Amino acid sequence: MKIVAAVARKELRDAVNSSWLLMYAALFTVLALGLSYLGERNLGSVGFENFSRTTASVLNLCLLLAPLAALSLGAGAIAGERDRGALTYLLAQPLDRWELLAGKFAGLSASIGLATVAGFGAAGVVIAFYATSLDVGTYLLLVVLVLALVCVMTGLGLVASVISATRVQALGLALLIWFVAVFVFDLLLIGMVSATSLGGGGLMLALLANPVEIVRVLAIIHLEPDLQILGPFGSYLMERVGTGGATAILSVALAAWIVVPVALAAWLFEVREA
Amino acid sequence: MTSTPRSDERQTSVEQAGLTPILRVAGLCKRYGRAHVLQDVTFDVPAGSVVALLGANGAGKTTTLKCILGVIPFEGAVDVAGISVRAHGKDARRRIGYVPQSPALSEGDTCDQALTFFAEIKGVAKARVSELLELVNLAPQRATKIGHLSGGMRQRLALAAALLADPPLLLLDEPAASLDIESRRDLQQLVGRLRDEGKTVILSTHFLDHLDEVANRALILHEGRIAFDGSLDELARRARSNRYVVNLNGNAPAALFEALSSAGIGPERVQKAELGWEEILLASTQERERDTRPTREERT
Repeated sequence: MKIVAAVARKELRDAVNSSWLLMYAALFTVLALGLSYLGERNLGSVGFENFSRTTASVLNLCLLLAPLAALSLGAGAIAGERDRGALTYLLAQPLDRWELLAGKFAGLSASIGLATVAGFGAAGVVIAFYATSLDVGTYLLLVVLVLALVCVMTGLGLVASVISATRVQALGLALLIWFVAVFVFDLLLIGMVSATSLGGGGLMLALLANPVEIVRVLAIIHLEPDLQILGPFGSYLMERVGTGGATAILSVALAAWIVVPVALAAWLFEVREA
Repeated sequence: MTSTPRSDERQTSVEQAGLTPILRVAGLCKRYGRAHVLQDVTFDVPAGSVVALLGANGAGKTTTLKCILGVIPFEGAVDVAGISVRAHGKDARRRIGYVPQSPALSEGDTCDQALTFFAEIKGVAKARVSELLELVNLAPQRATKIGHLSGGMRQRLALAAALLADPPLLLLDEPAASLDIESRRDLQQLVGRLRDEGKTVILSTHFLDHLDEVANRALILHEGRIAFDGSLDELARRARSNRYVVNLNGNAPAALFEALSSAGIGPERVQKAELGWEEILLASTQERERDTRPTREERT
């Protein structure tokens, strides 16, 4: 594990030195601050129970930006090293391939996670200042959920990185995954539901097939379990198994989404030529 | 991915001499698609020797080094200090220090940070970083970012990284390719010092001047096969044995000897050629090409 930790520290240092991560952190913090300030001020002035709704806005911003950052950085992790001729040099060191991949996963997840927490933290201060009621536990739960999503997307980015010949190809693949997961997936499934009369099991599988949707539903269940906000898949789940059951199923699915892509990337990295 | 029994059973010159090889390569083959990059490459290297790995671009030098490091799959067998690279790659690599042609180090890291990273991977104490920075004369640049180092300094830093765990075998892949004359000479002196300290070095290079000052053996690859394996003296003797320098004064070569004879010039006026190492390498690969070229009968 010392080697994994060494690679992770190096990856974290490289990420801090890179302009990409700083840009993401700055953009996310500014947008989160703006959203929370405007949300709290406007909703507060008309007397709404504003904590949940403002937090949900910040969460939606997270579900848009954090996967993009994680997928992009993950995609560059191996393909980027290959492009600049550093991969052979790294593999020539006394380490196993899985150690290099695990170290990169840990370092990248930590760096994007820190940037995300910084943005969340700034927004949290504003929300705490204006909110008529504050649920710190729920807010922290959202942070944890977003960090889990960062890990999922970093793993998927690594898969794209390992199977791509160049960094540009890997980035293209990562953008495609992001676009499908964040924008296309819901629309596609809603279309399928009406066109093919997708049953209950189908709805459940559809929800579990998209980690962004899993995090969104998990967050809303704890923030404001409104069936209309949850969407068709979340509503179905809540009606069938209740809050506890839904939380358990979705948590297990999210954990699998963290482990499986990283394991797949490690296996592909082992069998493919450097 | 299986070794050919014939190659594994073959005894190399080092084994025949009763020396324990630090590196043993047997029946090494590597293909990219249908292209054979290496074909039945067999050699071994006794501890403490410096082997010059020579050959034209695309001859298979870098691929050979990558196979020894175990970073690409190959057919055949490669053992480092008796450890199979295929079965125990990580353990074998603990015994190898590798310096690539252009070390791709993180530009944002300082020399100290870069070496500390490699020390952590190799399980070496932090104190060793300072020792190595002193050894390669980079102690004043300890806090300098790699992006601000010259090519020669980066190469020395990569050599320091390679030496961190004090490995018995060093693989240097064209380390002088991007260096100026002075840096190249410094590097050559450093390799000489390492040889004197008992390190085994495999030096892939295109720069052949003063090669005989550091290397005691040459291994020439040509189109993925070994074209020559022996001492530098033997290589030079072979290349020079039937070569002469004749100064022409404008006569056509066909009439040369007739003209010399009628002018009364005897064989005592013909001088043996003094070839440089680059000419020797060229001559050896041309000789190999002549030997392997099919005759008219074979073609038909």
